[in-house]
Amino acid sequence: MLVKDVMRSPVLTVEPGMTLEEAYRFLLEKGIRHLPVVAEGKLVGILTDRDLRLAMSHLNPGGPLPGSTPVAAAMTRKVVTAHPLDPVEEAARVMREGKIGCLPVLEDGRLVGMVTGIDLLDALLKLTGVTEPSGRLEVRLPDRVGELARLTGFLAERGVNIHSLLSYPEDGGFVRAVVRVNTLETHLLAEGLRQEGFEVIWPPKKPW
Amino acid sequence: MVIYRDEYRLYDFGPSHPFSPVRLEMLTSLLHALGVWRQPLEPPEATREEVLTVHSERLVKRVEAASRGERVPDLEYYGLGTGDTPVFPGMDRAARILVGGTLEGARRILAGEKRVLQLGGGLHHAQYDRASGFCVYNDLSVAIRHLTQAGLRVAYLDIDVHHGDGVQWIHYEEKEVLTLSLHETGRYLFPGTGHIHEIGRGEGVGRKLNLPLEPFTEDESYLEVFEALVPWALGAFRPDVLVVQSGADAHYQDPLADLLLTTRAYEAILRLILEYAQAYTGGRVLFTLGGGYSLDATVRVWALLYLVFHGLPLPERLPEGWLKEWQARLEKPLTPTLHDPQAPRAPYPEIPRKEEIARRNLLTLERLMELVRPHLVH
Repeated sequence: MLVKDVMRSPVLTVEPGMTLEEAYRFLLEKGIRHLPVVAEGKLVGILTDRDLRLAMSHLNPGGPLPGSTPVAAAMTRKVVTAHPLDPVEEAARVMREGKIGCLPVLEDGRLVGMVTGIDLLDALLKLTGVTEPSGRLEVRLPDRVGELARLTGFLAERGVNIHSLLSYPEDGGFVRAVVRVNTLETHLLAEGLRQEGFEVIWPPKKPW
Repeated sequence: MVIYRDEYRLYDFGPSHPFSPVRLEMLTSLLHALGVWRQPLEPPEATREEVLTVHSERLVKRVEAASRGERVPDLEYYGLGTGDTPVFPGMDRAARILVGGTLEGARRILAGEKRVLQLGGGLHHAQYDRASGFCVYNDLSVAIRHLTQAGLRVAYLDIDVHHGDGVQWIHYEEKEVLTLSLHETGRYLFPGTGHIHEIGRGEGVGRKLNLPLEPFTEDESYLEVFEALVPWALGAFRPDVLVVQSGADAHYQDPLADLLLTTRAYEAILRLILEYAQAYTGGRVLFTLGGGYSLDATVRVWALLYLVFHGLPLPERLPEGWLKEWQARLEKPLTPTLHDPQAPRAPYPEIPRKEEIARRNLLTLERLMELVRPHLVH
């Protein structure tokens, strides 16, 4: 999944000369929180609803700016951006580390899209496959070659289709695999997996 | 009135499949052995047109073709030919026979009958455009649509351990259908849906209620939330008729899920449902069967349903001859009593998280009621 698969496009932008008051109305009207500022086709800054509210507030260190101030005075100039071919996880990491809520997406210097935290949540939902009727299996695998293949091979042999498969490293040399499968019979699958030596976390083994 | 015909058992995915017609064979033979079997009404099979009141033509065409043994390349896209819902010869007719039974139940209710028990059906996972989870056609939705087209307001109550997703989605935008599903949370269990936030869309907002329960929920906690939610929702919605999917797979012996109901909870639930029908729908209630994959538990739960439905006394022990015959056939011991064994020999080990589970279920109930109250209560 790449940034171009989750970004919004086209993007609503404003010009640096727009006033703060106009910009705030624009945000409210469009129901968005981030405004890229574009001059002569180039991204020159970004203005969030929080920037706007602070700029016009008594809490603003330099005192409140009048509503007629151009947005150029309140926008952030050094904008962190992404490329359409960046993987989504990389976008997520940049946003998390920078504690920022959106990434304008640039291609050849042109603004072609925007990714926000909400878009990344949508991506997560899609990655987990929860929209398809499915049961859930959770298996702890040794972190070595061929283990995941053994698991998916087991499912394939039983005619079970995989809607989604997430895996992540665990301490102690393990990988946790979370699998959404198109079957009601996850308990029976789990039993079969245990017989094959897999460590199944969910569904649990019942003691009766 | 009971609706049943032997051909319900044609709905058969094969000997190793959990949705087994043996359940019906065991149940009817037990009711015979108990001496309580009354001649049921034999329903006609539903027509293609009746199925099309809730399903897409393209799904029906594929079911028909697959039933004739034709190769259909995009079958899996329609949820068929999978491990859960494989294809078998005559599948279309077998599914239509089950639909016919539930639909006949709806017709009888319209004709003035109060209580109807359909000893089959309950295929609540089948969706508009897709078969799913052992369910080819959605008999419940066909019956519900028949009732709403006659101008009735329908409350659908689903006590199967799996979320009643098919019925929910088919009627998701309809204001005259209340769906109410209590199930093990989709976080862990098929079909993965049934979150409290699924409350309907458009005119249907606030009329689709889901109470996802924690795995290992036991009798007391289940009954606590059931008694708080169901009469409240029925009182607010004021339905004309109650349609109940009586899945038996929330029982602790069920091999596919993780709720821990005993037959005592089931008896209480069934009695409460009849009480609620009396109080909120003038006594009009249509029961169907549903999931239930432990033969031992499912047959006892549905026998309870049959006995409570008819107001008959409950026997303590099951008939010896019947037990002997079925233990030999299944090659395993069966519980010799109608009810599960009780303390001091508890049927399953103590659950250490009992209190926490009950608290979380109450919290889920509170959140659900908060969410739907503005829409449901006027």
